[in-house]
Amino acid sequence: MRGTLTFVGKHIRRNMIVAMAFGGIITLCTGSGRAVAADDTIKIGVVLPTTGSESKPGQYQKEGIELAIKQINDGGGIMVKSKGKKLKIEEVFYDDSTDSKKSASLVERAMSSDSVVAVLGGYSTALGTAESVMADRYKTPWITTGAGATAIFSKGYQYAFGSLSPVALIGTTSAEFLGSLVDQGKLKKGLKVAIVVENTDHGTDYVNGFNEWNNKHKGYFEVVMNEKFELGATDFSSILQRVKGSHADIFLSDAHLPDYITMQRQYLQNGLHHQMISYGARGPEANARQALGAGTDYIFAGIWWSNKLPYPQAKKFAADYKAFTGHDVDSWYAAPAYDGMRIVAQAIEKAGSLDKTAIRDALKKAELTDSVLPGQKLKFAANGQSEYPFVITQNKPDNKVDIVYPKDAATGDPVAPIPNK
Amino acid sequence: MSAVEYLDLLLKALLLAGVYAAMAVGMTVVYGVMKIVNLAHAGFLMLGAYFAFELFNRFHINPVLGAVLAIPVFFLFGMLVHWVLVRWLPKSDTPTLASLLLMFGFWLVLQNFAYAIWGNEDQSILIPSLNLSAVHIGDTISLPKDKLVVFAAAVFCMVVLQIIFHRSWFGRSMRALIQNPYGAQIVGVDDQRTARLTFGLGTAFAGFAGALLGILLSFNPDFGRPFLLRSFVIIVLGGLESVSGVALGAVVLAILETFCTVIPFPWYHQGWKTYYLPPSYQPVVPFVLLVVVLVIMPKGLAGLFNRKWKTA
Repeated sequence: MRGTLTFVGKHIRRNMIVAMAFGGIITLCTGSGRAVAADDTIKIGVVLPTTGSESKPGQYQKEGIELAIKQINDGGGIMVKSKGKKLKIEEVFYDDSTDSKKSASLVERAMSSDSVVAVLGGYSTALGTAESVMADRYKTPWITTGAGATAIFSKGYQYAFGSLSPVALIGTTSAEFLGSLVDQGKLKKGLKVAIVVENTDHGTDYVNGFNEWNNKHKGYFEVVMNEKFELGATDFSSILQRVKGSHADIFLSDAHLPDYITMQRQYLQNGLHHQMISYGARGPEANARQALGAGTDYIFAGIWWSNKLPYPQAKKFAADYKAFTGHDVDSWYAAPAYDGMRIVAQAIEKAGSLDKTAIRDALKKAELTDSVLPGQKLKFAANGQSEYPFVITQNKPDNKVDIVYPKDAATGDPVAPIPNK
Repeated sequence: MSAVEYLDLLLKALLLAGVYAAMAVGMTVVYGVMKIVNLAHAGFLMLGAYFAFELFNRFHINPVLGAVLAIPVFFLFGMLVHWVLVRWLPKSDTPTLASLLLMFGFWLVLQNFAYAIWGNEDQSILIPSLNLSAVHIGDTISLPKDKLVVFAAAVFCMVVLQIIFHRSWFGRSMRALIQNPYGAQIVGVDDQRTARLTFGLGTAFAGFAGALLGILLSFNPDFGRPFLLRSFVIIVLGGLESVSGVALGAVVLAILETFCTVIPFPWYHQGWKTYYLPPSYQPVVPFVLLVVVLVIMPKGLAGLFNRKWKTA
C-alpha cells in the first residue's frame, strides 16, 4: 500500500514539474504576445457583473459595449495621431460577480497591472460607487454605464464619467409626467402619493428628484408615505400594509428587477389598486412580464432608453444589436453602454494619443451627436455625469409598451387612471 | 392600523413562517445528526426551484406536484453527494472548518453548474390562479394562495419528519446520534448509513422547499443566498437539533420581521410622539435575534422550554 502511494506521489510530482515547465513556456509566450498586442491595440477594461444578482443587466451592458467595439474595429479602429495609424480596440473583460469589493479590486487591477487606457462598467449604483474611487487614484478614465446615483459624481473626481443620466431625473420626470396628466384632466389635483424605494443611493436620488419637482409645483401631489426597504427582500407584507393604510392614490417605488417582481406580485395578492403605479426605472422588462403576466399592465417607468424611440440611429442600434447577439434588445441597459464605448472612442481619437490624462481631457469636451439615447446628444457635465432626458413608458395589455412622455417621442396615449379590474 | 389589519398581518406572518420552516428544516436535520453546517443547502434550494421550473416548462407539470417529485430525486442526489464527498470528512462533535469549506465549495460548484445550464436570466413560474391571486376574507384580510400552499407543504414536512423521527428505526437512529453519537454506535447504530440517509433526507427537504419557493419568487443560479442567514437564525433559535424548534424559530422570526415595522412605539423628542421602525431596518432583526439567542439561550427556544418543563 505504502509502495503504491509512493509510486503515485512520484508520478504526480513528475507530472507537476512537466506541467509547470509547460506553464512557464506558455506564460512567456503569452507575455511576449501581449507586449506586441499592447502596441497594436487599445486596451479597454470592462468590469461588469455577468454572474450574481445583477448578471442580466450586466450581460446586456457587456453586449452593448462589445457591439460598439465590433463596429469600431470593423471600420478599421480608432485613428491615433501619435502612432500615425488606426488601432483596434482590445476588450479586457472582468466579471465582478455582483460583488462590490471584487468590482473595485478588478478595476484597480485593470488600471494598474493590466494597463488599460480606460475602464467601462459599474452596474449598478452599489458596484459603481465602489469602483469610482479607483479612477482618480490611478489617473485612468472610468466611465460608468450603469450607475446613475448623483453621490458618485459629487465628490470632485476628475477621471470619473457616467453615460447614465442622474437617477434623480427619473423621479423628476415621473413627477413631471404625473403633473402633465393632472394638467390634461386625467388625474385630479392634490392626489396622495406613497413612495417606497430601495435603501440605496438610487432610491434616495429618486425620492429627491420627485420631491424637487413636487416642492416647485405646489398643490399637485401630497406625499403621505416615504419609506425604504431592504434590497433583495423576500416579503413585503408589512410595508404594503402600510401603503394600504396610507390611503394613497398613487404608488411609486424604485426597485431592482427581482424586488420589482416580488413586490408587484405581493401587491396584486393583497388586492391593492392605485390610480398610477411605477417602479422607477423598472417596468417593461420581458422577465417581469413573463413572471407577472397581465399583472404588469399599465405600470409606467422612467427609463434611459427605449427601442420605441423614433430616431433612425436608435432603430439601427436595435437592429444591429439583434444581429450581433441573436436576441432583441431588452429594456434600456445596452444603449448607455453602447454609447459609453462610442464616446470613449471619440475621446481617444480627439486626444490623438493613448495618454490617459489627454483622454480624460478629451472626454470632458466630447459630444456624441448621433447618440441613440433620448435627446440624441451625449456629453458630460462638469461633474462627469451626463444629463439627457428620460422617456416614460407604460406597459399596455398583450405585452405592448408605449412611450407616453414626452409628447414628441410618444408612441401612444397614457392610460390614466389605471382601470380597476 | 385597525385590529383586523393586525390580524391580516399576523396571518401573513404565519404563512411566511411556513416558508421559513420549509427552507430551514433540511439544514437542521443535517446539522443535528452530522454536525455539518450545510452551506450547500442554498444550492439545493436553487436546484429545487429549477427542477420545478423545468418540469413546468417542458412537461406542464404543476410546480406543487413538481415539488413532491423533487423529494425522491433530491433524496437520491443527497445520498450520492454524501457518498462522493461528505463521508470523507473527519468525524467531530462540533462543526469543523473542513466541513464548512467543503460545503461552501460545493455550493459554488452547484451555482456555476446552474449558470452553465440555465444562464443568468431571472426565471419564474407563472400560474396566475396560484401566484397572482389570494383568498380574501372580508375587505381587509387577503391570504396569498401560493403562500397557503407552501404553508401546508411546510406543515406536511414537519409532520412527516416527526413521524420519521419517532416511529421509525431510522428516526430512532437519528435521535440516538443527535443525543450521543458514541453511545449510539456502542449500541449498534450504523452511523455511516444513518448519516447517508440523513443527508439524503436533508437534501430532499431542500429540493422540496426550493421547488415551492420557485412558485413564490423569481430565481437565478444565485437563488438561495438570502435564505441562508435566515435558516441559520431559525435553527439557532430552534435549538440547532430540534425539528419542532425549527417551527417555533420560524414563527418567531417571521412575526418579529413582519411586526417590527408596523408596531408604533412612543418616543420622546420635544414631547411624546409615535415612532415606527423604518422598513429598511428590517434586515437587522435576524442579526440581532441571532446574537441575542446565542448569548441568552444558546440551546435555543426548544432548550429553554425543555429546561422550564424539567424545572416544573
